[in-house]
Formats: sequence, C-alpha cells, structure tokens
Amino acid sequence: MTFSMKRVTAILQKDYKDISRNLYVTTTLVLPLIMAVIFGRDGKSTLELIYMIINMGLVLVGTYVQASLIAEEKEKNTLRGLMLSPASTLEIFLGKNLLSFIATAVIVTGSILLMNYNPGHVPAVVIALVLSAIFYLGLGTLIGLMTKSVVEASVIIVPVMFVFSFISFMKPFMEKYPILTFIEYLPNMQMLDLAAQAQAGTGFGDVGSNLLIIVGWVVFIHILAVYVYKKRMVEE
Amino acid sequence: MENVIEVNALEKFFSKERALKNVSFSVKKGEIFGFLGPSGSGKTTTIKILTAQLKPTSGSTSVFGVPTHQLSKEKYRKKIGIVTDNTALYARLSVYDNLKLYCDLYDVPESRIYEVLSMVNLAGENKKIVSKLSRGMLQRITLARAFLHEPELLFLDEPTSALDPVNTKHIYEGLMRLKEKGTTIFLTTHDMNEAEILCDRVAFLNNGEIQLLDAPKKLRQQRSDASLTVELTDGRTIVLPKGPAGAQRLFDHMNANEIISVYSNQPTLGDIFVEVTGRNLV
Ligand SMILES: Nc1ncnc2c1ncn2[C@@H]1O[C@H](COP(=O)(O)OP(=O)(O)OP(=O)(O)O)[C@@H](O)[C@H]1O
Ligand SMILES: [Mg+2]
Repeated sequence: MTFSMKRVTAILQKDYKDISRNLYVTTTLVLPLIMAVIFGRDGKSTLELIYMIINMGLVLVGTYVQASLIAEEKEKNTLRGLMLSPASTLEIFLGKNLLSFIATAVIVTGSILLMNYNPGHVPAVVIALVLSAIFYLGLGTLIGLMTKSVVEASVIIVPVMFVFSFISFMKPFMEKYPILTFIEYLPNMQMLDLAAQAQAGTGFGDVGSNLLIIVGWVVFIHILAVYVYKKRMVEE
Repeated sequence: MENVIEVNALEKFFSKERALKNVSFSVKKGEIFGFLGPSGSGKTTTIKILTAQLKPTSGSTSVFGVPTHQLSKEKYRKKIGIVTDNTALYARLSVYDNLKLYCDLYDVPESRIYEVLSMVNLAGENKKIVSKLSRGMLQRITLARAFLHEPELLFLDEPTSALDPVNTKHIYEGLMRLKEKGTTIFLTTHDMNEAEILCDRVAFLNNGEIQLLDAPKKLRQQRSDASLTVELTDGRTIVLPKGPAGAQRLFDHMNANEIISVYSNQPTLGDIFVEVTGRNLV
C-alpha cells in the first residue's frame, strides 16, 4: 500500500475547519493557558507545580481534545467513512493526530513561556515533551475509541487528569507504601524526573532511561489504540 | 458474465438471534440488483458484511473475486462506493468541504464536486453548512459523495427513503445513466415501485432468508393469468378471462363503445411479495 501525505493533510485540514467552528474545543484550549497565568506568573514555582500545569495542558489538549475529536467522529458516524475510504489505518491515525499535536505543542509552549520556566537542558526536555505529547495523544485516541460519545469522554477525562496532573504530589506516600512505586514509571513521573535532572545540570546520558521508558509508553499506547480501532471498526 | 458479488450460504447470528439464514446469490457486472425486504429483514446486515464492516458467522462472500475481509486494500476501496446511514457527513462543514475531503481521500480532482452535485439536483448548494440541510438534501449529498470517484460498484442502502417524488425520479435517472456506463449497483429498498423501475433482478428477503430471486418482469409474468380488468361506461368493473370467451366479450364491449379502460391483471411486485412471504412490506 502506498502512503499518501495528501490524504493525511486532507484529514488535518478537515479537522482544522471543523475545530475552528467548535466552541467546545476552542474554549478547552485556553484553559491550560489561564492556569499557567494564575499559578506560574511569578517564576518562583516549584518544578512540581510547573509540571502539574504542563501535564494539565498535555491532558486537556493532547488527551481530551483528541478524545473528543475521535469520540465525535464515532458518535456522528463519520469515522466509518474514513475507514471505508482508500486511506490506510496509518494515514487515518496520522491525520487524526496531527491537529491535536500541533495544538498541544502551541499550548504547552505557551504555558511554559507564561510560567517563565527555563529548563536546564533544553534539547532533552523538548524531546521528552514531544514524546509525552505523543503518548497523551495515543491515550486520547484510545479514550475516544472506547467511549460512546463526547459527553462520556468528558467524564472519563476527569480521573485521567487527576492521575497525570496531581499524582506527582503523591510521591511522599511512595516511601510509606511500596506498592505505589509503580507510579514512578508513569510517563509524567519520568518527565518530572528528567526535568529535575536537567535542572540540576546533567547531560543526555543520564536521562536516557527516562526517555526510553516514555518511548515504551508511546509504543504501548499506540499499539493498543490501533488494536482497539481495528476491533471497533469491524463489528462482530 | 462476470460476477462482481458472490455470496454463498451466508449466515449471521447476533448472539442467539439469526439475522441471515443460508443466503446465496450473485450479482453480475453491470446489473442493478435489488434486495427487497421489510424492516428488520437483514438488508443492512448484508451490506455491512459485503463491505467488511461486519463479520459473518459463516458462509463465504466475495467482491471483485476477493474475500470481503481483504477489501481494505486501497485498490478495492477505490472501486467501491457506499451509501448507508452509518456513513454520515461532517455537520459543521460546508457541502463543498465535505466533498473536498473525499476528493482528496479518493484522489479525484475537485472539479468533480460540481458534477456530482448536479447529478443529485443540488448544483449551487455547495456553500451550505451540512447541519442546516434537510434530510432529503443530506441523503442526496451522501449519494453525491459516493459518486465522486466513479466507483465500479455501488452499495446503496435505501437511497431514496427521504426523497420527494421529483428528486427520487432525478436519482433514478442518474442511477440508470451510471448503469449504462457499466456501474454495478447493489440496492436495498422496501419500495416495490423503485425495484420495478431500477432493478434487473430482485431478491425477496424475509426474516433473513431469500425467498425468491428473479427479474421483476419474469416474476410478474409467471404469476399472471393473462386475464383483463375492464371498466365500463355504466360504472361496472368486470374481469375477462384469457382465451376466446374473454376476447369475444372484450370485442362486444369495445364495439358498443362501452369501455373506459382496460388493465392487465398482472400482479405487482408488492402482490408477489405478500403472496410469497405471507406478510406486507414496510
Ligand atoms: N448490531 C446488532 N446487534 C444485534 N442485532 C442486530 C444488530 N444489527 C442488526 N440486528 C438485527 O438483525 C436484524 C436485521 O437487521 P437489519 O438492520 O439488517 O434490517 P434491515 O432489513 O436493514 O431493516 P430496515 O429496513 O429497517 O433498515 C434485525 O432483527 C436487527 O434487530
Ligand atoms: Mg436497514
């Protein structure tokens, strides 16, 4: 099968036109920026707080907007048309992720600037953020595919938001309850760990394991999303 | 002649409920094949299986000579057009933007948009936002979208159910023109008149079973007793049997200038459906 960038950009263009007329989504986009202004203006925020805001942006835009886009396509029976077209699964997935990815990049960059956050090792942090964004998009796709409607997706997003934005504050409990050590391996915790090391002035070599774990999450979540997509699109 | 669709001993169960029972038929290249049946008889289920949206429980189905589960390949998708109620339009986008997306997906020039819109009698409506359209207009845009890439095979699930008579006729003419160009059409309907006008062959589906399959004309002729119904000027309606006795009476009435009209007593497809299945359509 030949890969067609034309089909990918066609889906992106369609999403862009669609989203610009969707008040629901456009208001969601400003929320992380407002949070950044409220919490991070003085530039004295702790790394935990900064990453709480960054993760909020990643979840709200990467996961929630993506989940809404997918859930709406499913709810309104438009995804079926894409599936029945010559577009391959890869083209559909790329096309359906691109807009949310661009939006996530813009919003997260915006909130970082608003908070005056200065990551110590910029390339490492940028790579980790990009990989994280791709993970959150995959999670969004998955939620969109597994829920029946946009409303249902908005309900599911609340616990997801909690896990990825606030769980870093659970760290003190980890020493008390060893069972919670798995939290450390969540992508947002890896991100935070990496950021802390970058701030302390370490190099690429030291954050390799963090990046690798995040890559693992990226691969895992997207394989799962493609699997669920294929399963959902052919009824039993 | 080459078969475009082949279905053999197809069965479909939804948990314990049997939606299709031992369905077998084939559709020849270039014909309009009608799947007729009342609501819940399994028409949409059949289309979903034939377009690889639903897994059959057993039996074999092939389209263009390949098993339907292999239809996901790009080259087959480009040859197929589908209109069902589970392939909707983007409500916030204009008619044009909806069709443009499909032009790009199917690698068709945008100039096709105007051609297909006039095929469905909606030329000039390209700027309208889809959410503002009536049900009949939506149905016609969905048809236009399926025509964009000039597919060799069209699956149409009750394509005129929301249309007024004028637009229905326009669509019929369009479909006949596609047929003349060699397009194969698999059409479901519960409108017997539609089947009569469009279809080369029809299958009667009832409770998931094909109960009769033939050309509409043949079905009617087989069941005709060749008698005539005659309306007379004195208000009476009489039935004349075939043969010399009937002919003599027809001659007499005609000779006396007493005849208003003469009808053939051939059953309609609807009559035959009721006779075969013991139930009414709709
Ligand atoms: N996903 C499903 N799960 C369970 N049962 C189903 C499902 N889809 C269809 N059925 C059942 O299968 C039977 C056939 O349904 P189908 O939609 O094919 O009918 P139809 O001939 O298209 O009817 P209509 O004219 O109303 O569109 C019905 O009894 C229906 O309830
Ligand atoms: Mg149906």
